[in-house]
Amino acid sequence: MKKFLCLIALSAVFASCKKAELDLQPFNQIETASAFTTQTDVTLAINGMYNGLRTNANANANSYVNGTWNIIADVMADNVIVSSLGRQSLTFFGDWRYNADNTFNFFQTGYTIIRRANAILENIEAFPAGAFKDNTKGEALAIRAMVYLDMVRTYSKTFENASATDSTMAYITTTDAKILPSKESVKGFYNKVISDLTTALPLIGANNGVGRFNKTVVSGLLSRAYLYTGDFANCITAANAALGTTPVLPNIADFPKIWTDDTNNGVLFKVLNTVLDNVNTQGVNYFQIVGGLIKSEYVVEYNLNKKYLSNDVRTSSYIQTSLFNGVLQNHIVKYRSRSGAGVAGVVDAKVLRTAEVLLNRAEAYQRSGSDLNALADLNLLKANRYTGFINIVGLAGPALLAEILAERRLELAFESDRFWDLKRRNQPVVRDPNFGDRADGTGVKYIFTNLAAGDYRFQLPYPSTEVNFNKAFTQNPGY
Amino acid sequence: MSKIFTLFMCAMLLMLQLNAQNRTITGKITDADGKPVSGASVQVKGAKQGVSADDQGAFSISVNSSAKILVISAIGLLPQEIRIGTGSVINATLAPGDKSLDEVVVVGYQAVKKKDLNGAVSVISSKELAQKPISNFTQLLQGKSTGLQVVGASGQPGTSGFLRIRGTGSINASSEPLIMIDGIAVTSTAFALINPNDIENVTVLKDASSAAIYGSRAGNGVIVVTTKSGKAGVAQIRYSFQRGFVSLQELPNVRLMDSKEKLQWEYEAGITNPIIDSMISNRKAQGVFPATATLFNLAADQRLALWDLTTSRGAGDWRNYYLQNASTESHEVSISGATDKMKYFFSVNKLDEVGLVYKSNRNRIGARLNMEYKALDWLTTGVNVSTAYAREYQNRELFNSQAPWTGYFLTNPYEPVYLPNGTYNLTFQGFSPLEGQDFNTFYNNNLSTFATGFVEGKFFKHLAIKSLVALNYNTLLSESYLQPGSNLAAILGYNSKSDAGNQDLQLVYTNTATWNQTFKSKHNISLLAGQEFSKRNFYSYALEGRGFPTASVNTIDNASLAQRATTSRSQFSIISYFGSAAYDFDKKYGVKLSGRRDGSSRFGINNRFANFWAVSGWWNAKNENFMSKVSFLSDLKVRGSIGTAGNVPNQFYGSLGTYALNAAYNNLPAAIPAQIANPDLTWEKNKNWDLGVDFGFLENRITGTFDYYNRVTNDLLYPQPVSLATGFASVLSNIGTLKNSGFEIGLSGDIFRQKDFKWNVSVSYTNNTNKVTSLISDDVPSTGTSRLKIGQPLNTYFLVRWAGINPANGKNQYYKADNSITETYSASDAVLLEGKTPLAKYFGSVNSNVTFKQFDLSLQFYYTGGNYTYNNQYQNNLADGGGASVGLRPQYTAAFDYWHKAGDISQFPSLNDPTQKQNLTTTKYLEKADYVTLRDIVLSYNLSDAIAKRIKLSGVRFYVQGTNLWLKTKFHGLPEIGVSNRENGTPVQPGLNNLYAYPSSKAVTVGLDIRF
Repeated sequence: MKKFLCLIALSAVFASCKKAELDLQPFNQIETASAFTTQTDVTLAINGMYNGLRTNANANANSYVNGTWNIIADVMADNVIVSSLGRQSLTFFGDWRYNADNTFNFFQTGYTIIRRANAILENIEAFPAGAFKDNTKGEALAIRAMVYLDMVRTYSKTFENASATDSTMAYITTTDAKILPSKESVKGFYNKVISDLTTALPLIGANNGVGRFNKTVVSGLLSRAYLYTGDFANCITAANAALGTTPVLPNIADFPKIWTDDTNNGVLFKVLNTVLDNVNTQGVNYFQIVGGLIKSEYVVEYNLNKKYLSNDVRTSSYIQTSLFNGVLQNHIVKYRSRSGAGVAGVVDAKVLRTAEVLLNRAEAYQRSGSDLNALADLNLLKANRYTGFINIVGLAGPALLAEILAERRLELAFESDRFWDLKRRNQPVVRDPNFGDRADGTGVKYIFTNLAAGDYRFQLPYPSTEVNFNKAFTQNPGY
Repeated sequence: MSKIFTLFMCAMLLMLQLNAQNRTITGKITDADGKPVSGASVQVKGAKQGVSADDQGAFSISVNSSAKILVISAIGLLPQEIRIGTGSVINATLAPGDKSLDEVVVVGYQAVKKKDLNGAVSVISSKELAQKPISNFTQLLQGKSTGLQVVGASGQPGTSGFLRIRGTGSINASSEPLIMIDGIAVTSTAFALINPNDIENVTVLKDASSAAIYGSRAGNGVIVVTTKSGKAGVAQIRYSFQRGFVSLQELPNVRLMDSKEKLQWEYEAGITNPIIDSMISNRKAQGVFPATATLFNLAADQRLALWDLTTSRGAGDWRNYYLQNASTESHEVSISGATDKMKYFFSVNKLDEVGLVYKSNRNRIGARLNMEYKALDWLTTGVNVSTAYAREYQNRELFNSQAPWTGYFLTNPYEPVYLPNGTYNLTFQGFSPLEGQDFNTFYNNNLSTFATGFVEGKFFKHLAIKSLVALNYNTLLSESYLQPGSNLAAILGYNSKSDAGNQDLQLVYTNTATWNQTFKSKHNISLLAGQEFSKRNFYSYALEGRGFPTASVNTIDNASLAQRATTSRSQFSIISYFGSAAYDFDKKYGVKLSGRRDGSSRFGINNRFANFWAVSGWWNAKNENFMSKVSFLSDLKVRGSIGTAGNVPNQFYGSLGTYALNAAYNNLPAAIPAQIANPDLTWEKNKNWDLGVDFGFLENRITGTFDYYNRVTNDLLYPQPVSLATGFASVLSNIGTLKNSGFEIGLSGDIFRQKDFKWNVSVSYTNNTNKVTSLISDDVPSTGTSRLKIGQPLNTYFLVRWAGINPANGKNQYYKADNSITETYSASDAVLLEGKTPLAKYFGSVNSNVTFKQFDLSLQFYYTGGNYTYNNQYQNNLADGGGASVGLRPQYTAAFDYWHKAGDISQFPSLNDPTQKQNLTTTKYLEKADYVTLRDIVLSYNLSDAIAKRIKLSGVRFYVQGTNLWLKTKFHGLPEIGVSNRENGTPVQPGLNNLYAYPSSKAVTVGLDIRF
């Protein structure tokens, strides 16, 4: 008996076994069901949506505005040439060799951000009416529209080139995890982008602070969307709303400060990338500093480089000609760093600038027959870029349009515009096979030099994971 | 002790006088060496009571006239029966026992004698593990057991190998077996730090009958490690010393070009390098060369003079700089022994390793105390306590020249080590690995503490109840310092120090009750019931500061900018109930049932508990009467089993739908969707059956074992895809089936068995076939170069097929999907290469052990084959057309085999065709990774007892050991591939591709063991 008592006493120390011990919760997460209880929860979710823009929500595929987005449209076009001294990054895209197993992974990234917006839109209805609710809805709708516009630019034909039967991905507005969406028409998709933006416009606040959407941003995005749909009247109206009646651009002295984050003048929306966030992808896409020297991945294409004149403030803001390994190259330094003790490559992601909106409006004016207004916009931009600029007079018609587009290329080079813009205007990519990666035009030349207008490779392939799994979803033609 | 014994003797004498028929027999029991065997048991055959010998081996026993035979026995020695004559003195010398059969091993919460093992179980003894110059015990298991495949992760000191028992059993969850040390499941940190010399034995449980009782985590088999305990006899003090001389294992079938070869090849490829470029421009400036001079228009003697000068300034063989003189050195003292009340084993050990790669090193120090005390005649208690600490310098291991070993493949032999000003030359790579190792240091500090305590009570003769509590506490501190002033700090624009680490605490409570009884001396039953609770708490942190004023301070309080301070925590718990019942009839036939019910916090609320079971049976034919006449057959046992075991997901909270809050925007907190809920998430279930036979011929001169197995894993934990339009890629689910089947053969023969000359040869062979039998959707990519397809093995390669160089124009050719040939590479022409996977189809070992007088020579060859590896390392040093950026890397001499002119049959395309200047992923670099290696050769000399005695020692052993001294393979490079390189993370599939992982070494080790 004593033996047993002894044993029971010991077992009491050793044994412990309750089923409740199996109900364990994570320490840094909450269950989805309790994620939208208070207004604070909604604020956290809004920050989460912007966080998606910064981190691209997918650490393995840093593919949006704070990732490879700022170079991909230049790599696939004719603004840059791969440096033979670099790491040969992204050559897959530069050579147009992408396929469904190896494509630009913005599809998943985009939908990840969109889910965050959709979750807010699904849950915000339970909150009382008022400015907070309106502003929240406005932000979620507008972010969703911006991401969808960039997705449709990447994967599908443009509004003006698409036929009624050309399709694109689905415009998802739910957080249901069981959906197997099929495709929808390109034109309808663009209309939904515009509808979300126009719905957001009256709801969103006029000022939400730097790094967040507001009325001006939504108007600016609308000008971009209308330019793509060829709705020039609305493009002008939206641009007017974004720029004000007398647009003010950062002057020549202020322009370089945009790229070191020393001014927000001329930046309608940027995604903040703080010292703590420390994401250097924007910079590393273009170069790293090795041995105190710039080691580029891509350098400025020889002919383009010649178009940057010495009195153009953009020349020194965008380009630095210097040696690496004894070779002189034209390096792209637009994303070098912040001023002072800034970490290399860590800068805010400039998503929408007044210059783009002005160029949108200039093109819309010209293409809707208002050459004088168009020329005025062009002159305004040039006056704020070229030292000693004298207003152009009398330029009109196709020559004026060509000049606007040339200026657009110079202004928005290395900023994710060129490839999408060529596609929008149904132009080919034509690369000069005669010049290489060195500053003097020698060096390693382009291997792949021509992508014909309308080529299927203008529409990037959807990831095979989606096509294989979701039978309702079909791949773009050609892949 | 002797006082009590004296009292006892007095009592006996008194009793003698009371019972006149009885007489007393005295004697002394010694072992083969003449040493007294204290505690030996002396018993009249058939009697219930007996006596024990004292410290001097002396005994005295009272016997009555009917007694005929005395039975004398002791642990570890063969029992002896001695006829009682008329004399009153009987001295006995007990021969050493056949330890391998009497050895007790732990299987399924029970200690079982090895000869009573009736499942597919391999036992690896301490002799096979101790005193090897490899500090991680997992790598020591290679070739030691059929069915157990071990692939070394890399050559880095202390690295754990990848273990696979009977194939790869999971796609997404772990395929590693459960490792139990002294009764509890431990983490990889804990077993990475265990001292292999402390291990008594390792049992590898391969089939359901032995593994099912471990339940939910035993789906990939179980490895049970038992540490040493004291052996009966006086205290044994032992000192061991070992010193190893370690060098690089040469890469087979490849050689990097030397300086002149490389310059010649560059010249032929039309590539100029910056060193030659600047020499030419200097000479132009001095007017020595004309202004139009280029490398390609210089006179041959001018060119050769430039090359000679370049070569003379170059490093030559960079291995002289990036590698270092490597060594291992260990010292160990152990004291062990046992009395009738207490068993103890104590050891302290210290191991210092200098790694092959510049600056790499590892120091480990540890101690262990295992004690067992018989507090009362029915109550035993014990503790096993060990602590080990290791500090290591880790080299970076990634695909650029921040890693020294990668640097060797990226730095040309003509590039100088130092600049004229004495600083490191950053080389064409822009980074000197030497500078990187000097100024960007990375240290890991690991501490592992392990303690178990138990009490065991015995009741009613047959019942034993045991309670065990175990605690395993591991800490890691990684310190990475990017020093101010270093090259990397200049590249990144900041200096920083990061301290990251974790605390990992695991608690296990186990209660078991066993009942063992024999009825009518023929019916043996063994019952076990038990319950277990285990919980693991994991806490980690990461701190980073930037802006250090000087490299001489390195704690984060010196940083001017606090960059990061994060912590995280996670937990899981498991509740289990288990039991088994075994019955055998006269050791002839037996059956066993076992089962376990496990609940784990990792699963959905709907499916948290699962049941696992196994049934097995055996027939020992040799114990049948009719077989006793078959004299050539000394052993024959047939056995079979069927049962289930489980596997858990790697994720602790995989079943919950959650929002993560560890996110921020503009330095403000943010909430982001983290995962989709799956309340049905449940166990991966493994069902397997096994048929085996164990046999022995000619008094077990030849022994062998054969097993056939079939192992099916159902409900594979697999990320079930969801439409990417949901914002998620997948939800963790139970989908798919995987099958492993195969056979294992082990044969061992004693060719000579003389007293002074013994020679044993043994061979083992394991054959495994892996096949995916169902999946959510067929044919899905698992990596960029491999796929999962139903009917094919896991991770079958999926590549564009290379069709050679077109002899007409020197261009690469490829097969299109329809088998026609094209010169245009398109990734869409990739096809599934049926049967080509990184999974080995067969592996095994050949061992020989010769003992001649005091000498002992043992050899182990290990072989493996049937697997393919994508040879990235080979590809990266073959410009394959001479693209400038790849061409400026060092090249293997094979690169000279390029196309020169029409009609050439070559391996590489024309060097001067711009369309060929691409290094593409094709079957050209997919290679068979079969190999045979002489893993181990040991020559040892045991000092004869007579000499040892003269110098007052109990034993002395010297040995010389060679590791990896010989290797045969057709693979270009080292064929044993675990990780491609460490900073790529744990591979989807070990051996899928190689990429400059820490190199493997060969070693010659000398050692000395002294027993005092």
